[in-house]
Amino acid sequence: MHTGTTNQVANPNTVVWNSPGIWITYLLTTGFMHLILLSMPWFTTSVSWTLTNVLHGVCMYFFLHTIKGTPFETSDQGKYRYSTHWEQIDSGTQFTAARKFFMTTPIVLYILASFYSMYDFTHFVVNTLVLLLSLLPKLPQLHGVRIFGINKY
Amino acid sequence: MNAAAQNGELNRNGANEIYHKGGSTKRKFQESFEPTPLYAAIVTYVNYAVVTLFGFLRDFLRKHGFEKLYAATEDPEMKDFVPLYASFESFYTRNIYNRIQDIFNRPICSVPGATINIVERKFSHSGWTSKYTGKTLKNVVNLGSYNYLGFAENEGTCSEAAIESAKKYGVGVCSSRQEMGNLDIHTKLEQTMADYLGVEACITFGMGYATNSTNIPCLVNKGCLILSDGLNHASLVLGCRLSRATIRVFKHNDMEDLERKLSDGVVYGQPRTQRPWKKILIIVEGVYSMEGSIVNLPGVLALKKKYKAYLYLDEAHSIGALGDHGRGVTEYFGIHASEVDIMMGTFTKSFGAAGGYIAGNRALVEHLRAHSHSACYATSMSPPVCQQILTSLSIISGTEEGRNRIKQLAKSCKIFRQGLKKLGFIVYGNDDSPVVPVLFYSPCKLGAFSREMLKRGFAVVGVGFPATPIVESRVRFCMSAALTDKQIQDALSACSDLSSLLNLNYSKAK
Repeated sequence: MHTGTTNQVANPNTVVWNSPGIWITYLLTTGFMHLILLSMPWFTTSVSWTLTNVLHGVCMYFFLHTIKGTPFETSDQGKYRYSTHWEQIDSGTQFTAARKFFMTTPIVLYILASFYSMYDFTHFVVNTLVLLLSLLPKLPQLHGVRIFGINKY
Repeated sequence: MNAAAQNGELNRNGANEIYHKGGSTKRKFQESFEPTPLYAAIVTYVNYAVVTLFGFLRDFLRKHGFEKLYAATEDPEMKDFVPLYASFESFYTRNIYNRIQDIFNRPICSVPGATINIVERKFSHSGWTSKYTGKTLKNVVNLGSYNYLGFAENEGTCSEAAIESAKKYGVGVCSSRQEMGNLDIHTKLEQTMADYLGVEACITFGMGYATNSTNIPCLVNKGCLILSDGLNHASLVLGCRLSRATIRVFKHNDMEDLERKLSDGVVYGQPRTQRPWKKILIIVEGVYSMEGSIVNLPGVLALKKKYKAYLYLDEAHSIGALGDHGRGVTEYFGIHASEVDIMMGTFTKSFGAAGGYIAGNRALVEHLRAHSHSACYATSMSPPVCQQILTSLSIISGTEEGRNRIKQLAKSCKIFRQGLKKLGFIVYGNDDSPVVPVLFYSPCKLGAFSREMLKRGFAVVGVGFPATPIVESRVRFCMSAALTDKQIQDALSACSDLSSLLNLNYSKAK
C-alpha cells in the first residue's frame, strides 16, 4: 500500500510522533512492561528496574537508530531511505517537542532505576551505559553521522 | 475560528461555526472535526504496535526459512549486486495490509451505479493468495462510488447519446488539441460548460489529475508564491512542485493561518532578496473528499481581495453536487463565479464521465490553450466522453429530472449524516458535503466493519494509514442521487447493528 494518492505529508513517519495520544501510549506501554518485569518473583526490585531501563534503551536504539527507511512506499522519491527513524522525525528539524520527549524518557528512567537500585555500582555501570546508548545517537551533532560506516546502507 | 491545532496542519476542535457577512446569502458555515477520544487513540496505537512486532517476528522467520516466503525475491545469481528493492519498504504491505486486503480493491462486474455486483474472492490463510470462488454478490448497495448525481448508468439518454457519438466520431483522434485532435464537439462542450458555470470561457482536458498537474506550471513559475491548503489532493501538490514556485502550506480551512501567511508573503517578499513575489496564488478545493469539509470560500475571497492574491478553486467533488442548480461551491455560498480567478473541476464525479476543465476569463483560457502542456502533448478528450458530459449537463441544468437528482442528493446527505450522528458515530466535515467520512481509528475495526457491511449487502470504502494519519482510519461514505430512501435507511440500520457490535459510538456530542 503506498501513500501516493491522498496524503497530507509525503512521509507519514515524520509526523507520527505528534499524533494525539501517542506519548501517553508510549509511557503506558513502558509502564506495562515494567509491571510485567516487577511481577516476576525471581527478579529483585533493583534488577527489574535496571532491566526495564536496559530493555527500554535497547528497544529504543533498535527501533529509532538502527532501522532505516520507511515500512511503506512514500511519494518523496526515497529521500529518507537511508535515514533512521530518529533522523526522520519532523523531517530533521532539531529541538522539536517529540525529540525532547524522547530525550527525556531515558533520563527519567535512568534516575528512577538508579534510585530503586540503591545506587549499587554494577547497576550504575549498566544503567549509565544504557543511558549513553539512548542519548548519544540523539545529539544534533550526530544527526546523519555513521561511525565507522556502521549502518550506512 | 479559534482552533487548537493538534495534528500538524489539521484544524481540530469541536465545532467550527462562523457567520460570514460577505455574499448575498448569510449561510451558516459549520464544520466539525471532533477530537480523537484518548481511549480510541491508545487502543489504535497498541493495535499497530502489536501487529508491527508480529510483523518483525514473521519477517525474521521468513528470512531464516522457518516460514515460507511467498513474495517476489531477487534472483539468487544477483546476490552480490546492489539489491533492487528494500524489503523493509514493503513491510507494511506484507504484515498489516495483507491482513485486511479483502476489503480493498474488490473486483466488480457491473456498472458502479446505486448497486454493484462484486466478484467474490477467498483469501488463503496466509493472506498471500486469493481465489475467485465463482460466486458473484449481486445488487450490493454501493456506498463508495463518487456517483453524486447518479449518472453512472449504462442505460438511458446519456449512454444512448454517447453510443451515437462513438458511431459518428469514433473513439478518439489520438492527437493533441493543438495538432489534429480538436473536434467541434470539444468546442461545443467548452462553450456549454462556460455558460453553465457563468464564466467567459472554459478549456477541457482528457484527465482530471493531469488538468491540475499540467496547468498549474502554466500559471505560476519560479518567483511566485503558492499558498496551498494542507489537505490538497496529490494532483495539486504535484502541479505546485512542477511549477517550481515557492509553496507554503496553511492549516486546513484556517483563515487566520492563511491571513498570517499572506501578510508575511506581502510584507517580507521573496526569501533572500526581499523582492516582491511575482504572483501569489491561493489553491483550495471545493469539497475535500477525505475530510468531507467544504472550503470557507467567503473567508478566502475576503482575504484574496485584501491582499490582492489570485484564487484557484478545485471543484472536483463539488461541481454538480453543491448548490441549488449544481453549479458548485460558488452557488452554494451565493458568490458570483467571476470572483474566483481560476475555476477548475473534473467531470469524473458528478457527470459520470472523465476529464477536467479550467474556466475563467477569456484571457486565461486562451493562454492555457496556447501554453498548456496538456493542450500541446496530451490527447484530447474522447468524443463519447464529451457527449456524455453534454447530455448529463443538459439534464442537470435544464430538466426536471436534473433538479430532482440534485434535490435527492442534498436530502440523502442530510438524512444519512444526521442518522449516523444520532447513532453516535464521529463524522467529520460539513453537514452539506456529499462525502461522509466516519472515523474508526483502529484498522481492525475498519476491516471488521467493511466485511460485516458486505455480508449485509453494502459496499463501503475503508481508508487507513498511510493514506490517512495513523490514528484516523475511516470509512468514507459517498452519497448518490441514485440511492433510494429505502437503501439509505437500510444502510443506517446496518450501521446501527454494527455500531453496537463493534463499539463504534465514540461521539460525545449530543
